Amino acid sequence: MASRSSVIVWTVLAHLAAELPSARFGLASAPVRRAAWARGLRRAFERLGPAFIKLGQLISVRPDEFSDELVAEMRSMQDAVPPLPAEAIRSVIEAEFGVGPDELWATFDDEPLASASIAQVHRATLAAAYRPVWGESLPAGADVVVKVVRPGAAASIRGDVAVARRLAGLIARTRLARRFDPVALLDEFATTLERELDLRVEGRFSDRFLFDFRDDPKVVAPRIVWPKSTARVLTMEFMRGWRLTEIEAAKAAGVDCFGLAVHGATAFMRQVFVYGRYHADLHPANLFVTPDNTIAYLDFGIVGYLTPEERMNITQVMAALVYRDADRAMRYSERLGVHVPPDRVEAVRAGLGTLLDGTTRPDGTRDFAHFGLGFLSLLGEHGVRIPSGYGLLIKSLATVEGVARALYPEIDIVATAQPFTTRILGAAMGDPARLRERMPEAVRAALRVLLT
Amino acid sequence: MTDDVMRFFAAWMLTHEVADEGLKAAVLRGDEGGAEGMSGGADAFVDGLAAMVAEEKEKLKRDLEARARGEEVAIEQPRDPALEEVRFEVAELRGRLDNIESLLETLLRKLDR
Repeated sequence: MASRSSVIVWTVLAHLAAELPSARFGLASAPVRRAAWARGLRRAFERLGPAFIKLGQLISVRPDEFSDELVAEMRSMQDAVPPLPAEAIRSVIEAEFGVGPDELWATFDDEPLASASIAQVHRATLAAAYRPVWGESLPAGADVVVKVVRPGAAASIRGDVAVARRLAGLIARTRLARRFDPVALLDEFATTLERELDLRVEGRFSDRFLFDFRDDPKVVAPRIVWPKSTARVLTMEFMRGWRLTEIEAAKAAGVDCFGLAVHGATAFMRQVFVYGRYHADLHPANLFVTPDNTIAYLDFGIVGYLTPEERMNITQVMAALVYRDADRAMRYSERLGVHVPPDRVEAVRAGLGTLLDGTTRPDGTRDFAHFGLGFLSLLGEHGVRIPSGYGLLIKSLATVEGVARALYPEIDIVATAQPFTTRILGAAMGDPARLRERMPEAVRAALRVLLT
Repeated sequence: MTDDVMRFFAAWMLTHEVADEGLKAAVLRGDEGGAEGMSGGADAFVDGLAAMVAEEKEKLKRDLEARARGEEVAIEQPRDPALEEVRFEVAELRGRLDNIESLLETLLRKLDR
């Protein structure tokens, strides 16, 4: 354990030292220095293996906790590792099922489709038809994807997390911990990783997603083949189509990119504002457009959950953006745990008003990322701590906007949100408990208007 | 007495007229400008909501006119969400049982060796 701690510390220090010339030995401007240290950390994390690659991915979805340079650098983290030989993967499958892949599937391709730090993915075909939890049956011979956790990945990740926890305890006592709580981040990271190591969690989310979107034939996710799945092996439907990185090919094939951009954005809002559970790791590789004009969500490794109360408050914050209402944004952000000290309220409200008025792009569409990320920096400038989850959601919405704009550059995600949030808040007005709570004040206000 | 009744109805009519004009103005603001064309702030939400309610009203009007002409109007009957949730939970349970069955078979295979 001690030797692994030394390896971690020395790898990080060596990669930071390698960036000293780029940072002009500490004499460069602050953004240049931050970019150099971020690059060094990213390279060290890639070198240190799966646990650190995942830690980097977690940092990349937390712009509320880390600098822009570090978030951008971690976003470019490569989670592609050399594939393991087929024998190693076959032995995991045999350990899980007691038989080899040739007895489980009609065909099993030894050539991997992809190889990442935690799992490797192979193509196979079903030996027998299967009726999934939701959706139509998969026939015998259907193409499937078999995701297999790399042997030793769980043990090495758990070992590294234990070491990193000790190091986080040490960092917590230094001034590096001013902006974030390293121990809390490590705990959140450990929980996320444990979920990712048990592939059944991802499978269940996919089932739930299919159920949530049962009335929407344009939004799909892979169906799971449960008899051929365990904690370390997940068998799911093979999705045909184009990743968003291959969008030109999709356009050439006649896919309705504008329709899918609007629909994909609406589907994400439905996940957040209606169901309170959402895909929190959306990037162009996790979204497919298919030849029959549907949008497929893949890889539910990192997901976000909201309580009904959080969901309503977040809808109110989104409505505040739609209707440029700074007071509404302040009121409901407070309910989400964004506590602005009384002496800063006016300054934050003024900054927020400026942000709300400045979200329009030259083409007349509105820019959510400008507002969302600007709001997070504004809070940071005023020393306001941002609750866990709030930053993750804002980043996710900004990513959805980026993804939708990759499909159709003129899309206005704020305009897409308008009917959604208005309808939800309008429906909430009829809630009997709310009516009972608000009616006396409404009557008093009406009388005030009539009598003065 | 007659005068009082007339005044009462006149006041009632005037109230309706003013409320109706206010609502129409809100619908127009919400409809024409979208969020961008509105002044922003708390009232903008009311305008946006009014515009959506007006849309729903027009749809209702069209449905009623179609029905008056004797046409069939499909009324959406959403399924009972509680029942749907139960359906999903039962299906999910079946998935878990499929998974457990497969694990038990694996266990037996390993014990047989």
